[in-house]
Amino acid sequence: MTGNATHGMSAEGDQQGPGAPSVRDDILGRMPRASGRYLAAVIFCAAIVAWALFAWAVQIVDGFGHTGLRRPVYWGFYIVNFVFWIGISHAGTLISAILRLTGAAWRKPVTRAAEAITVFCLMIGGLFPLIHIGRVWYFYWMIPYPNERLLWPNFRSPLFWDLTAILTYLSGSVIYLYLPLIPDLAEIADRSTGLKRRIYKALSLGWTGSDRQWQALERAMKLMAMVILAIAVSVHSVVAYDFSMSVAPTWHSTIFAPYFVVGAIFSGIAALIVVMAALRRLMGLQQHLRDEHFANLGKLLVLMSLLWLYFTFSEHLTAWYGNLPYEMQVFNIREQGLFGILFWTMVVCNFVVPFVLVGISKLRSIATITVSGVAILIGMWLERFLIIVPPLSTPALPAAWGDYAPSWIEVSITAGTFAAMALLYLLFVKVFPIIAIWEYDEKIPAR
Amino acid sequence: MTRRYLHARYRCAEDAQAAIEALSSAGVPTSALELYSRRPVEVDPPLLPRRSRMSLVAVIAAIASGSTCTALVFLVQLSYPLVTGGMPITSGWATGVVTFETTMAGAVLGILVMFLWEAGLIRPRGRGPVPSLPEEGVLLQIDCRQDYALASKVVTDSSAQEIESIEC
Repeated sequence: MTGNATHGMSAEGDQQGPGAPSVRDDILGRMPRASGRYLAAVIFCAAIVAWALFAWAVQIVDGFGHTGLRRPVYWGFYIVNFVFWIGISHAGTLISAILRLTGAAWRKPVTRAAEAITVFCLMIGGLFPLIHIGRVWYFYWMIPYPNERLLWPNFRSPLFWDLTAILTYLSGSVIYLYLPLIPDLAEIADRSTGLKRRIYKALSLGWTGSDRQWQALERAMKLMAMVILAIAVSVHSVVAYDFSMSVAPTWHSTIFAPYFVVGAIFSGIAALIVVMAALRRLMGLQQHLRDEHFANLGKLLVLMSLLWLYFTFSEHLTAWYGNLPYEMQVFNIREQGLFGILFWTMVVCNFVVPFVLVGISKLRSIATITVSGVAILIGMWLERFLIIVPPLSTPALPAAWGDYAPSWIEVSITAGTFAAMALLYLLFVKVFPIIAIWEYDEKIPAR
Repeated sequence: MTRRYLHARYRCAEDAQAAIEALSSAGVPTSALELYSRRPVEVDPPLLPRRSRMSLVAVIAAIASGSTCTALVFLVQLSYPLVTGGMPITSGWATGVVTFETTMAGAVLGILVMFLWEAGLIRPRGRGPVPSLPEEGVLLQIDCRQDYALASKVVTDSSAQEIESIEC
């Protein structure tokens, strides 16, 4: 090849032209350096994750007796965490896919943060069934493969449906996160040198910025948004089927799937708000993650809070009005004693706090919206706990009633997943721009 | 064989559009043109509309994946050594979720493959040298294998800010 042609983007990107937009430089410049504070945060999170892995190792070596799971409560913290994290994973699909399809311009600085939440939450949530089965090395029994031992997955089992749904959602979400990253990876490669340049160039798959590529990317993102929405709704419906397909008191409900989907979107938005507030403060993104983004997400939060209240009320009203003895046992235990404290805390966190702090415009600010987000995350975790544990601890026969108290292993693993989420996010923002630069930056004008 | 290309840089999409129209009128086929930019161009429809089969392939991949996996589920159930009189062990309802999810997985895979194909990321490029992207504006690449002089004249007469000739 002759002439001055080069493959890929040129290194000219290093030189900022006089009229060049500052958005790219600003966002790329805010990717954290390996400072002492950053490393301290990484080490802190990694230490908690390591402790959780140690706890899991103890459980694997010594057996499931180390957990608080006893007859009749066979599903405890692990399944609560599973439902909670899979629920939060809906942040990416709602914010990115719905807003992309409706053409909401304000989504642009928010989408990647949301898509990353989806991928990390699915990775974390998907671990819990593995932790919960105890003998994790037998996991492959769930996978349909030809064998001579007559082992075959039970296609009627919602747990098998979970496997297919989560694998589909995880692979779709990774692709949905990766595709819009490609132009930004090429931009970083363009500005880098040496090994870093080679790695980013390989990750950008040889992106050149041609019109064919831009058109293919925009088309693919629109199609992916449609598909990923359908998958997201199905995933949390399937998680709800884990419960509603059984005949346990208060679980066998026809509205459980939409109830779970609403709760998932609700907690997903709350998680996104909390992550955005943290990024805004720690990475100095005030210029990009502005009041309007928080206000718009806050309004969605109030809407979802009302929907959540409606579903919760419908669930409880139906159980109370039906007055079936075995359902009323659960109903009563859930609203009295220790479970009662958790129940009313959940109502305060999921409805009262967001309704007051975000619903009243005079009180609405980034701080109050973030506080509401944190409250909702707590409330939604409690909701998952209250859906799972009370019905199991009070089965139809009173003679079979039992208690559940998590062991240090379950608490450690739960804490470890929150640390894992923070760790994954810390590593992600170090390596990739947290705002989709090509989407957020102004397009090349027509005239 | 040496091939010649022209790289012309334009300030905005409208200037590039005028050049593309002039080149088309002069008989340069659209397939010989390629537009490069750091950011997407804010013009709808695109300056160089490209035909896409992404939606079609996504639907076909979805149907193929969903039906193949559903068939496998039923075959596995029928081959299980349990006397059921030829009936599958579970009903269609129970495999509905598996069918849905594998259908969607097929669509996702179809979209990914077609994106990589149509964006030219998994096939030999053969579209000439990749230019250095301008910080601002767009860069039009013209494959001048037919009539270099004519293409060069059209581009020179256009409002290009910078023109470069490349042989490779």
